[in-house]
Amino acid sequence: MYEVIAKATWQTVYMVVGSTFFSVILGFIPAIVLTLTAPDGLRPNKVIYGLLDLLVNTFRSFPFIILMVIVIPFTRLLAGKAIGTKAALVPLTISAIPFIARVIESALRGVDSGLIEAARSFGASDPQIILRVYLKEAFPAILSGITLTMISLIGYSAMGGAIGAGGLGDVAIRYGYQAYKMPYLIVTSLILIVFVQLIQMIGNTLFKRLS
Amino acid sequence: MISIRNVSKNFGSLKVLEDISMEIGQGDIFGIIGQSGAGKSTLLRCINGLEGYDQGSIEVDGKEISSLSKKELRATQKEMGMIFQNFNLLDRLDVYDNIALPLQFWKQKKNSPENKARIGELLELVGLEDKVHSYPRQLSGGQKQRVAIARALVLDPKILLCDEATSALDPRITKDILSLLLKINRELKLTIVVVTHQMEVVKQICNQVAFIKDGRSMAVGKPEELFVAPNEEIQAFVGESIECLPKTGRNIKLFFNSTESEDGVITKMARELDTDFSICQGKLEDFRGNILGSLVINIEPKDEESVLAFLKAHHVLWEVL
Repeated sequence: MYEVIAKATWQTVYMVVGSTFFSVILGFIPAIVLTLTAPDGLRPNKVIYGLLDLLVNTFRSFPFIILMVIVIPFTRLLAGKAIGTKAALVPLTISAIPFIARVIESALRGVDSGLIEAARSFGASDPQIILRVYLKEAFPAILSGITLTMISLIGYSAMGGAIGAGGLGDVAIRYGYQAYKMPYLIVTSLILIVFVQLIQMIGNTLFKRLS
Repeated sequence: MISIRNVSKNFGSLKVLEDISMEIGQGDIFGIIGQSGAGKSTLLRCINGLEGYDQGSIEVDGKEISSLSKKELRATQKEMGMIFQNFNLLDRLDVYDNIALPLQFWKQKKNSPENKARIGELLELVGLEDKVHSYPRQLSGGQKQRVAIARALVLDPKILLCDEATSALDPRITKDILSLLLKINRELKLTIVVVTHQMEVVKQICNQVAFIKDGRSMAVGKPEELFVAPNEEIQAFVGESIECLPKTGRNIKLFFNSTESEDGVITKMARELDTDFSICQGKLEDFRGNILGSLVINIEPKDEESVLAFLKAHHVLWEVL
């Protein structure tokens, strides 16, 4: 039992940390574009904003288990194979990008418009405003958004078993539920609870210290 | 320094600015006063290119704002510092970094020796030497505005634009900030444009004032002229009522340019004309240290001719109400 759970724990950590990492990097781009092109943004653009907004909403409306299947060809292209822990990073990242994009967008748009105006009045360029005002001021809010994303990725990663990715969720279902081994169910659940608590605690501490 | 000619601006079908013209000279403290929504803040934003305008021309230092390229506009904005009603400081930067921010927009190192010295001087000017590493949330409103003023001056501008800069402050702090603006005007020879709805601000520091209502400029001139002898529009804004004056007899309003002329004339008139009158309303106001006033007297209709002749002979400005 120890070996099974240790391996599954590592797989879950791998999937959650990996997909958080990639989705944050990739989610920043649409978040910044959405902020810039919003009606009250620095470069309002109805077409770009509308299209990106629609795209983000579309991807967010897929249930993860379905998305995982739909993106299999793409997964194969990127990871070389469609099953396994590494392959699961692709659908996890894809499902988290629109989520993190929304979270970062709302953090950025929470920055007081007066600060943007002040920066413009001193002759700041748009990239400077993004870097030195938007990202600087919204940093704590972005961090707590990343915390939120990470926690929901723990939930998604539990479905990784469907494409052979393993992980704690997979152990809970196969050993605990299907094979009636209660201890597996209890231990995996406890580990997941500890994970969520830990991530939330770190997130809250960082938020408090930074804001 | 800034010349605004026939500027109009619409938001859709709403006219925000309509045919506004005014000249702001080098070294002026120019007040733009009016009620909320009169268009005065929009006008200020047109001056430094934060907003565009539909018609007319705004020239700053001989450069037409609407014809500047993005790069030229940035360079012109560097010449114009701006402060705001809500201070608009970055919460996550300390006082030093907030003041240094515009320098960084112009690709300067915030910790270079000359910039350190520059920020030190500014902190001394605004009286916050001991708050260098405080964060905005640890400061009072007045202190925040001082930081904002230092930030607005860090690029060494020629013009300082103030958008309702004292509206969120209590009267005592307002006074301190106004004296700081006066000091900056005198010591640094900065041209200051002040947008406000507070009469006190204009009286205490402005040497020129434009009165804006519904996007139109109702009057431009010296505050002492516009407020001591106000036209109807300004009277309505000031909220001065003449309803409490006596209904019988004649009410005459006298204007005084200084206190000396006042005490002589009134008593002399009573003696020389051997007449009685009552004083119904009197007001003395401080315009940048100049005391100016008005007095309303009520006389018998039969005395009107002789009183007016006397006033004319003594060069007193008057108006029959």
